[in-house]
Amino acid sequence: MRVIAFISVLLAAGAVNAETITASVNGMVCAICVTGIEKSFQKNPAVDKVKVDLETGKVTVDTKAGATLDDATVTKTIVNAGYAVTEITRASGR
Amino acid sequence: MKKTWSAIRIAFFVFAAGLLHHPGSAFAKPVSYVGGLMLMQENDAGGHTVGLDYTVTPRMAVAFHAQYHIRGDNFTMLGPQMNFLINRWNAPRSQGNIFANVGGGTTIDRNGDMRPATWTGLLADFETRRLFVSYEVRAMYAPKVERSLWQRARAGVAFSPVDYTKVSPWAMVQVDYRDEKHLGLHVGAREPKMEITPLIRVMYRAFLIEGGVSHRGKLMFNWVKQF
Repeated sequence: MRVIAFISVLLAAGAVNAETITASVNGMVCAICVTGIEKSFQKNPAVDKVKVDLETGKVTVDTKAGATLDDATVTKTIVNAGYAVTEITRASGR
Repeated sequence: MKKTWSAIRIAFFVFAAGLLHHPGSAFAKPVSYVGGLMLMQENDAGGHTVGLDYTVTPRMAVAFHAQYHIRGDNFTMLGPQMNFLINRWNAPRSQGNIFANVGGGTTIDRNGDMRPATWTGLLADFETRRLFVSYEVRAMYAPKVERSLWQRARAGVAFSPVDYTKVSPWAMVQVDYRDEKHLGLHVGAREPKMEITPLIRVMYRAFLIEGGVSHRGKLMFNWVKQF
């Protein structure tokens, strides 16, 4: 029972540390081209999920529990895919 | 008989692309994302092209180009190519690009004779989620084979802008203008210069396919897969 409680606390702590990063991006209009953003982020071991929204011009990245991505990494990944980042916001504790 | 042979050649090149992974020409963006591999295959009145591009930096890709040229002397041309992003404009709802390429290799004629060839080109495009326009010009020179200048303009509209995880169809029209001087077996041969092709393009995630029939009745069929 104590072991189960201990493991539950560890899992809860991990979930609190995951982060949602949202980047506002210019130039995302070509459907086949933006798959490059998705593929580029998926190569990063800190990334759990990535979603590209052409309508809003936003890229949303969910990190894995306990992992983080700094602004420079997010920007470089998107620039290397051929686009320009205008803003990055973060929300943690999902 | 000619249409059957044309269809067999198209089928061969589509099949060969899957086996050989040879690179090709530019109806898709010639520089993609860093580390990205793009396989493309193109079939139209000018010939059949197979290509593989690998993007090394945000501004440069290396490619291998193989083309079976069916106008004039019917030769194969193959060799490496470098693609460069000259400039890009990223706006909230649009993107514009200028690309350049330069390549060199060999031609192989029906007798198996090989001669050097070189080519270079420029591509400019502008698109939104609903509209697409592009212009491309390419010059090729192969001594004793052909000297040519080829221009292509495209314009298209999306049926409706959709998320990239959904099927995205476009209606487009392509105008090709070829100015070729045959220097080999068919010296002085005249070929039609202009070809107008309405086409339908469909994109789904990392895959693009398009096809149409030109005003001269020539089939056009292209596809791209991004890895």
